[in-house]
Amino acid sequence: MPGFTSISNIADSDTEGKTLYASWRKSPTQTTARGFWFDLSMSPGNPPPQYYAASPGVSVAMAQSTDGGIYHGKPITPSTLYLRKMLGITATATVVPCSMILCDYLLYYPFIDESSTDPQPLTTNVTLPRYADGKGVQIMAVVVAGQTGGVTFSVNYTNSDGISDRTSATVTLCTQAAVGTIATTAPATAGCNGPFIPLAKGDTGVRSIESITMNSADVGLLTLVLVKPLAQFSIRGIDAPVELDYFLNCGGTLPVIQDDAFLMFLCSPGGTIAGSSIMGVAEFAWR
Amino acid sequence: MGFSSMDDFVNKVTNLNQFYRADWNKNALPTTTQVAGEWYCLFMGSGNPSAGVFASGTNLSFQSLCDQLSGGIQHGGNVFPATKHILNASAFSAGATSMPAVLMLVDLLGYYPMTTVTTVGNQRMFNSAAFTVANSILTSSTYDIAPYSTVQFSNSGGTLPSPLMTDTNYYTLRSGSGATWTNFIYDSLSGAIAGSSPTSFGSGAIIMTTSGTGTNIIQCVLPRYSNGTGVQCFVTPATVMGAATPSISITYTNASGTSLKVTPPILPVGKTAAPVGHIAYSGVAAAGKYGPFMPLSARDTGIRSLQSGSLSVSWASGQLAFVLCKPLLTLPMTTIGVAAERDLMNQLPSLPQIKDGACLAWLIYAGANTPVNTAFYGHLDFGWG
Repeated sequence: MPGFTSISNIADSDTEGKTLYASWRKSPTQTTARGFWFDLSMSPGNPPPQYYAASPGVSVAMAQSTDGGIYHGKPITPSTLYLRKMLGITATATVVPCSMILCDYLLYYPFIDESSTDPQPLTTNVTLPRYADGKGVQIMAVVVAGQTGGVTFSVNYTNSDGISDRTSATVTLCTQAAVGTIATTAPATAGCNGPFIPLAKGDTGVRSIESITMNSADVGLLTLVLVKPLAQFSIRGIDAPVELDYFLNCGGTLPVIQDDAFLMFLCSPGGTIAGSSIMGVAEFAWR
Repeated sequence: MGFSSMDDFVNKVTNLNQFYRADWNKNALPTTTQVAGEWYCLFMGSGNPSAGVFASGTNLSFQSLCDQLSGGIQHGGNVFPATKHILNASAFSAGATSMPAVLMLVDLLGYYPMTTVTTVGNQRMFNSAAFTVANSILTSSTYDIAPYSTVQFSNSGGTLPSPLMTDTNYYTLRSGSGATWTNFIYDSLSGAIAGSSPTSFGSGAIIMTTSGTGTNIIQCVLPRYSNGTGVQCFVTPATVMGAATPSISITYTNASGTSLKVTPPILPVGKTAAPVGHIAYSGVAAAGKYGPFMPLSARDTGIRSLQSGSLSVSWASGQLAFVLCKPLLTLPMTTIGVAAERDLMNQLPSLPQIKDGACLAWLIYAGANTPVNTAFYGHLDFGWG
């Protein structure tokens, strides 16, 4: 039977060499501020950036094999791959304290025009490449061309039960215009409701997005990205790396990494991340 | 059910996918700065999930809450007969002067709305009402029962509509679009959730073959923690209050089933012009300041229901909610931007249990004057077995 069914299985993965060690290092260039979340997938470094570059409003699936992300090996089905450990560190004082969320990036709808107040239909011509039913899949709105901020919008989506035309909460665009900013975050702004757009009551995930409606016009462009949040950690200071064993330090949870997942971080830094390096090591194990 | 060993835990959580992760973000309430030393309920704040409501329903009558309504943090759905537990929790805020603070996760069970805040003295709280039945639709002219409420039936001077039975839990679903006084009845919560209101019963509905005789009574009971053990009460404005500093008291049935228990002296004292979400009697350095919960009589360990609420003087305006909840977890936060993290398996072995239907929300103790709309972000990991 694949997967970890006992503690001894976890230990055996070490002795049997079923582990993978992957370093990562992102060197963002954008000027950010405390209290805003930021998508590191477009930042230079290792792995290389991707830019959500595709036809406006048309869905594009994401995968390690086509888009990159933190390397976690080749597909291993029928075995199951787990994130076992994570190390993170930075030497730049303005980055810390910094909370980080590891996500599997699944699919995006690029270049949504913030100046149009008509409902903008989005085209979904591919299904979710992983988590096909959408359970736990969230929507994040990433700035890809800077906005003024302060206007509101909502999206219509199909939830993880397959029910279409669900309407999200109305959220507010923030005023941080740096490319890569999660547009619905701010330290203290009404309607800036966090890195993921609140879903309709009772909904726990998203399969696809049908449309977006800006309630008033702004400048700039957004990309809507469907992600599955997997794990998180915090870099507290520049004087010590954070080291986590997801079995020993995180409630016994070992996040499952699906074949060909595109792995990258969201971060909420203590100040600007421009000119910094945020680096670390991810360790994977499988059975 | 539950986890019988670490191996069992590993298999269920990491292999059988009996796991759910919830990322949440709640903002401080939008109208008034949080005051250092006072408690607030973030349920009505905007964020993810969206704002919840403490202001609907019949005045002074119990309104049940669950994860199918707005405002509760999702936790992976119903898992019975398995039991669900919190494995990890984290939270932080990057907002200026947001720290220190303490978050408390609670399961909101329900509330008694009080619009009559200008009334002085005891006001009776209602948990039950008479009803009639026609075409298997239950109608009460005096009690607007919240959807997905857990209810029991009794009868005076006759017989209940068939096949309803006494001392048995049933579940409600409003039967008409916008009709707040009529309900379908189901024999399971999942049946009520899956029900086809407003146009049809849906599968699992109780089809009543008689209308009963005598006086039929429907009673809302606690949806979870039914005997009240560990259940606490807090009082918070659902709309901003006017001027006054009334003493607040309740009478209640305790977890042993003893009714008419009273709030002991010194009574909690409300805050003048208390804002929405403020725990109305919380504060520092004054008699009658408590937080976050109403004090109970000596040796009482919980509340099964309220019988009355009382204000010693008239509040000029506003609306209150007397909220029943079960505290589950506390999460102290010390430093702006630094996440508080709790591993409830290895670090603080406790694995707080989450009941099916739980309406999860945060109370917060403000250690500093915290600006309006300050964002608090965090996550919760759940596993079940």
